[in-house]
Amino acid sequence: MGDRYSALAVVFGVVSFALGVLVLPAAGQHIQSADATATTVASPVAHTPWGDPDLQGIWDFRTITPLQRPDDLVDKTVFTPEEAAEYEAARVASLHKDQRVEDGLELETDVAYAYNHFWWDYGDTLVEDRRTSLIVDPPDGRIPPLTPAGQLREAQRREARSRPAHGPEDRSVWERCIVGGNAGPPITPSAYNNNVQLLQAPGVVVIFNEMIHDARVVPIDGSAHLPDDIRQWRGDPRGRWEGETLVVESTNFNGKTAFRGSGAGLRLEERFTRVGDDRLLYQFTIDDPTSFTKPWTAVIPMKATEGPIFEYACHEGNYGLVNLLAGARAQDAEVAALATREPQ
Amino acid sequence: MPMRARGNGMLLVLAAVAIAGLLVTTEQALGAEQSYEPPRTADDRPDLNGIWQALGSAHWNIEGHAAQPGPVVALGAIGAIPGGLGVVEGGSIPYQPWAVAQKQENSENWVTADPVVKCYMPGVPRATYMPFPFQIVQTPDHVLITYEFASSSRIIYMSQPDFESPFDTWMGHSRGHWEGDTLVVDVTAQVGDTWFDSAGNFHSNALHVIERYTPISPNALRYEVVIEDPNVFTRAWTMSMPLYRRLDENVQLLEFKCVEFVEELLYGHLRKDPVR
Repeated sequence: MGDRYSALAVVFGVVSFALGVLVLPAAGQHIQSADATATTVASPVAHTPWGDPDLQGIWDFRTITPLQRPDDLVDKTVFTPEEAAEYEAARVASLHKDQRVEDGLELETDVAYAYNHFWWDYGDTLVEDRRTSLIVDPPDGRIPPLTPAGQLREAQRREARSRPAHGPEDRSVWERCIVGGNAGPPITPSAYNNNVQLLQAPGVVVIFNEMIHDARVVPIDGSAHLPDDIRQWRGDPRGRWEGETLVVESTNFNGKTAFRGSGAGLRLEERFTRVGDDRLLYQFTIDDPTSFTKPWTAVIPMKATEGPIFEYACHEGNYGLVNLLAGARAQDAEVAALATREPQ
Repeated sequence: MPMRARGNGMLLVLAAVAIAGLLVTTEQALGAEQSYEPPRTADDRPDLNGIWQALGSAHWNIEGHAAQPGPVVALGAIGAIPGGLGVVEGGSIPYQPWAVAQKQENSENWVTADPVVKCYMPGVPRATYMPFPFQIVQTPDHVLITYEFASSSRIIYMSQPDFESPFDTWMGHSRGHWEGDTLVVDVTAQVGDTWFDSAGNFHSNALHVIERYTPISPNALRYEVVIEDPNVFTRAWTMSMPLYRRLDENVQLLEFKCVEFVEELLYGHLRKDPVR
């Protein structure tokens, strides 16, 4: 791998990724960027022997930049360098806090409260262009409001999560080890395993997320999507090249994955552009008129990492869900016992 | 008598001709296998890219077995287990004496003890001959194999021969190299929790697997596997089978996220309102 990276370093020697400049070679795809200097650069991108842009490598997408702009930063799209340093320090301190002390609890035995930043892998830094949210569209950096149908589904999910689970279906697909939280699709930074490996062969790109050993094989052969009645947790991806950008469009979602409230009508567009020897720009657009009042887009920079990708065996060791359901039944039994002790 | 002797002689001649014919046919077939020139990748390796699948009943039992009823009465004929000639060279697995008893116990309890019943990743080599397709995506430094069953995947490291796995995993740690037109994969660091099949054939976490993938025609690979595990077997042993290219129009791996399908089995007793 070292050889490969040095080779790429030579190829990309002339390209620099300037702080605060979002380099995006895709034709006509100006992203609303950190500052007014957003630039479209036609950089010399390495290509595979069969002529496709070479996106291969292991990419690290961790960041403490939130997906949505925080409420107190409503008019601020980009931090100054000083503000960024201040935000990072405050955020890291907050992640390091002893939650037991913070919440006024004395739960020495509850290991859930023992987790702090030592255990997490959010990273310590904002994205390099110092944006205050990963969402770039709408301009307020927030997920657009849900449609009435989207609100109804979200309310049902919230209700199920707010009480002891009746069964596994009441918990998130991530807790059930069906899909891996940050793997999506779309890919979003989270608390750990923020790594994805891209591999290419003629007519195919594989998006291999560490969470949870999730390999998405993307055909780039002009073939049609699956028939409408075949629905999948991660949808059905098809890729195409637009200039130096890989565009992956996914449809045929089963609606149970519910990314931030999305449903079966989701049409997901993901764009991968190599913007330097060690930089990949990832952008996704959620277009789901049955769930959101308008489409929304986020931009997430990724950095090359040595890796490797390790196996994340989620389901094989999912004691969490067993304990969660057993706990729910214990709570039921407690309530029932109280009811018999104190008849109305 | 002379007539009879002559008749016998003719039979012998005929038999010899027939045998010679068979030998020639077999030799021709083997020769064809050996002389097959597979298409090559940009880095001049045999091109193994594509969607492949094993046929047969090795996933039920890698040793030879007659057909038998399945464990679920309601599934009747479609849940029955087809017979198979076995894929183990020499016919049987050289278990140590204690392991024969363990295998027997596994076999008697396979429905509750077989890890793939619970949708656990099958490990290597079982993932290869599960009755599901898998896809090879080949690059010079990494070969990815992704399996439809349980969305299992693994990376074969082609240029890091000294890269040892820091821990055991369900799909193991794979390092590959080319020997002529054969992709040879050395698989170590597998957990001891996977099996070879639904007949209870098993191993420990000392398992060492050497896989060999050789193109033998445009649409078939020869798959040979050497199994070593000094905790369980008296010697190394080998299994062998062809892998076939899926030729279906528009073939692609579909999701088989079986976790959802086993939630009732694994968590049903913890439901507020049990389904049954």
